[in-house]
Amino acid sequence: MARQKRSAPSKAAKTGGGGGASRLAAASSVDELFVNALIPRPSERPLKIYAFDPSVGRFLGNCMMAKVRYESLDPGPVGTNFAVIDYDGTAKTFYAPVDLNSPDVMIGGGLDPSQSDPRFHQQMVYAVAMETLQRFELALGRRVRWRGVQRTSGGEYAIPRGAAQRLTLFPHAMREANAFYSPEAHGILFGYFQASQINPGRNLPGQTVFTCLSHDIIAHETTHAVLDGIREYFTEPTNIDVPAFHEAFADLAALFSHFSHKEALLDTLQKTGGELFRFHLQPEARVAPGEKVMLQDQIDQPNPLIELALQFGEASGARAGLRNALGTPPDPDDIKHKTEPHERGSILVAAVFDAYFTIYNRRTAKLFRIYRAGGGRDVPTDLPAPLADQLAAVASCIAEEFFTICARAIDYSPPLDITFGDFLRALLTSHLDLHPIDPDGVRDALMQAFRLRGIVAEGAEYFSEESLCWPKVNDSLPRVEGLAFGDPNGLTLDEKNENGDVLRAYAKKNAAALGFDSTVAPIAAASFHPMFHVGQDGSLYVSMVVELVQTVSVSLSDSDEDEADASSSLPLRSGVTLLIAQDPPENGVRPAPRVRFVIPKHRSAERTARMRSYYARTGRLLRGRDSRDHESRFQIDFSLLHAEI
Amino acid sequence: MAGVARKTKAKPSRPKRTKRAPPKKPGKTRRTTGATRRPSTRGSGGTRRKPAPTAPGSRGGQPPGGGAGSSAKLRIRMFRVGFGDFFLLTVPTPKGDRFILIDCGVHHTDLGSMRDAVAQMARDCGSQLALVIMTHRHADHISGFGTCRDVFAQFTVEQVWMSWLEQTSNPNAMAYQASLTTAAARMGQALAVRLAAKDDDDTRQLLAMAENITGGLDATGRSTGNQAALDVLHGGFKNKPQYCFFRAGDIPTLPPDLAAAGLTAEILGPPADPQLIKQMQNKTQQYLDANHATDQPVKSKDPFPAVFRAREEDYPKSAFKFYDARRMTQLIDAVQPDVLAAQARAADNTLNNQSLMVHFTFGGKKLLFVGDAQWGNWENFLYGGAYGPGRTALTERARTILGQLDFYKVGHHGSANATPKSAVSAMREGSAAMCSTQTGSYSGVPRLPLLEALSKTMHGQVARSDQVAVDGTAAEKTAGPLPSQFQSQGGKLFVDYQL
Repeated sequence: MARQKRSAPSKAAKTGGGGGASRLAAASSVDELFVNALIPRPSERPLKIYAFDPSVGRFLGNCMMAKVRYESLDPGPVGTNFAVIDYDGTAKTFYAPVDLNSPDVMIGGGLDPSQSDPRFHQQMVYAVAMETLQRFELALGRRVRWRGVQRTSGGEYAIPRGAAQRLTLFPHAMREANAFYSPEAHGILFGYFQASQINPGRNLPGQTVFTCLSHDIIAHETTHAVLDGIREYFTEPTNIDVPAFHEAFADLAALFSHFSHKEALLDTLQKTGGELFRFHLQPEARVAPGEKVMLQDQIDQPNPLIELALQFGEASGARAGLRNALGTPPDPDDIKHKTEPHERGSILVAAVFDAYFTIYNRRTAKLFRIYRAGGGRDVPTDLPAPLADQLAAVASCIAEEFFTICARAIDYSPPLDITFGDFLRALLTSHLDLHPIDPDGVRDALMQAFRLRGIVAEGAEYFSEESLCWPKVNDSLPRVEGLAFGDPNGLTLDEKNENGDVLRAYAKKNAAALGFDSTVAPIAAASFHPMFHVGQDGSLYVSMVVELVQTVSVSLSDSDEDEADASSSLPLRSGVTLLIAQDPPENGVRPAPRVRFVIPKHRSAERTARMRSYYARTGRLLRGRDSRDHESRFQIDFSLLHAEI
Repeated sequence: MAGVARKTKAKPSRPKRTKRAPPKKPGKTRRTTGATRRPSTRGSGGTRRKPAPTAPGSRGGQPPGGGAGSSAKLRIRMFRVGFGDFFLLTVPTPKGDRFILIDCGVHHTDLGSMRDAVAQMARDCGSQLALVIMTHRHADHISGFGTCRDVFAQFTVEQVWMSWLEQTSNPNAMAYQASLTTAAARMGQALAVRLAAKDDDDTRQLLAMAENITGGLDATGRSTGNQAALDVLHGGFKNKPQYCFFRAGDIPTLPPDLAAAGLTAEILGPPADPQLIKQMQNKTQQYLDANHATDQPVKSKDPFPAVFRAREEDYPKSAFKFYDARRMTQLIDAVQPDVLAAQARAADNTLNNQSLMVHFTFGGKKLLFVGDAQWGNWENFLYGGAYGPGRTALTERARTILGQLDFYKVGHHGSANATPKSAVSAMREGSAAMCSTQTGSYSGVPRLPLLEALSKTMHGQVARSDQVAVDGTAAEKTAGPLPSQFQSQGGKLFVDYQL
């Protein structure tokens, strides 16, 4: 709620453009109405970045131009959504900020890629973070806000008023092989470190490696921040899947962004003969059987599209990227035994990418048939340029579709305690809502890919689409009278205040039907976001996603004789996500908003046990000395999560 | 010869995974099995009585119920050494008493009683052990083998059990253990530097964790303590014992005399994950590399030349609209992650999760020894994999085993994350437990609510090693008196339980 309230004023200023109205008024004749000396405000700012990271070198498409939403920038760059502040916590110094509005810089589309100039680093961090944010905003159909309320009650880390608009990026925050989103610092900290002396991969032994120059790492961390902004309670690791989900989701966002860069796609398509999912690229120069590799062009390279953070992985001696999307063959037992968040998360990533490549194959099959009908070889060794173009277009179109349903699935997830199974149900439901007609079987591909990896949905009775999608609510639930949907650019402050009251009242009145016990604690409306999308049938759908959450305090241990101090209790939350639709007017009257989905996470003995167990496993039951420790220990600590990659 | 015949006979019944180190020379094996015969003739004379007169003072009061008519009773002796595990099992067999040693180590808060305890143990068993079990290679479970190597050199041992991660013929396992030790040694050095700079409890505890893995370092920074102990376990006894390396699901073949007495065993952990070593090795590699970047004093050059340095005034005012520069720099300084601490804890957990979990059955009584097994290890046993959505019920087997339990060796000195609540509540009411622990070593060890929960389930039959005194250290007052079901000789050095 509070998050919503604070974000009111920013939009008009940003989208308004120049002040044309007053000039128009000065027009003396009708003819002059159409004459305008204003230079149109650019919609995009081109900025040079690495598509992967510096280690990929002159790989075609590695140096690319990102197009980010145009805004006036102060040196830093400091803009509306991001401020890059280059403070080094190890060297205790600031570095000179880049002025992206300076003509010398602007004319070349930003500074040229360079590892030695911190100002290029600032430019790249800004560009990739903006790119990621915009991709989310496009997919969600609304503006994204950063976390605007502090998570723990200690005043030390309070987020100042208005700061929910802007996240700070620190490109060189520390000397450490680590990069993480820090809710406390309200920003993302990127580290730099020396590459391994023994096994530096493609880096020079001991060279400085900057995490802020890895496209993947920036996209990954920005996604953490976006997710934390959308969902208040997803940073509470209440079961083993929660931190893994955070990692998987961030990896998905980073990987799908690879598929949006056409240059990189084209090169990979050429080197895989159109089979984008191949682990290895064919070397530029062929190696005859029995012959040894003599030239650099004969060395086969890993497929950069499905690898994450190549340079980082190699620099720390792992010989490959951090993770890749299709690392291991599917094994339903993995879900039982992989407990480390990144490993567990990669199961989910692999499942989504399995479905992605399945659809890619389905949609490109015809193209390959046409190619063969025209006399092409079975497995093309030299893809004709128009075919490569077509394939790239299909690949990036599917990537966009998948990214959109992944992002939208967040809105279809329960407000807390998410599991992989919940995410599957959310994915299917969001896809059904966005693309009810599904000729290529995207939903089926997802279901099968998840099943292959042992991810099951709790509470679903059958393995079928209708059973796996969240059940629709029938008419017995009352309508939400008085809810305001605003327009796609957001709600006004009054509308927000009004909506908050409406929703709390609705939750209280219908507590039992929604699965709450209204006597134990108040039910809070943690967030509400209007959503707009044009359906496949061409009509505009207006809806709102609402999180209702109830928090009670329970004892840490299940025996009553435990120490009765404050730290032996933990917050136990339950909640529902409501999807409320505003139907079009009928007979001249707009009907009251209707609840379509109630996506629940209710209190249950099993959930409580699961939570206690996870806290025990991760050592959170042991109390630290720090007074702040009490509440913060029940939060994901991204700094340590990533340090352990 | 009979021993050898039995061995070959039993072989096909064992699952494939059970591996023994192949005897180097057949001749030697024969001699080994020959050696196992000796205690049978010597021991039958009354191993339990014989050492009694030689014991210093305290040995007189043989527990009334225990000694006389209980030739069929198994005795568990827990020695008090400080923060460490040291258990001796006396198994009555048709050929006299036979002995099983489970761990022998102390690390944090060493009370100096290890030598006395080992001497006592040597007298108890006449330097003849049928079986030595090393649960895992933490100093607090093995240091005694190193510090008392002269005593153990006089021991004949029939079998030694370790986890599959200790198999010397498995190069991956060995490389992994070596890299973990190296990483811990480096962490230890870094933590020592930190401790010297600023003395605080947290750092001291982390340093203890790192040292527990290495067993302490010599002047050149090489890990020596645990290696000395491992050397004894791998070849410092009088004879060459038979080595067995187990993982969850194995059914060991016990030494003949123990088997003849009706003792059987089953291994419940550590889990056999073929990916495990590989994953852990990647991790360790990263500990090693990351350590360069964490607590080592920064000697390497700055990332950028001085010309790029700037001051906060070089930034526009808008940059500090929400957080002023001072606050922002403070925030960055404050949220630098303590990677070293996370690594030390992770390494500690990793090793604890290697613990061999052994389930014994003797005369209808069931005993569970879990070493320091923590969550990863327990989860595999309790839930058949990671505890998570859809996997929150105890497996049928886990419920059966715990529901019939008679004795439980409390894991990890009674720490919060070593005995899951669900395990406690599944344990049979009225069973008994022993917890080797020492206050003031780690925060939250022993965890009192856990011990209380155990005590409730077990009708008060929970003994703590610090309920008895040793030379120079009195019994821990807060631990309360030793429950009456347990025996101690004059309240000193060890606690006995018979079942």
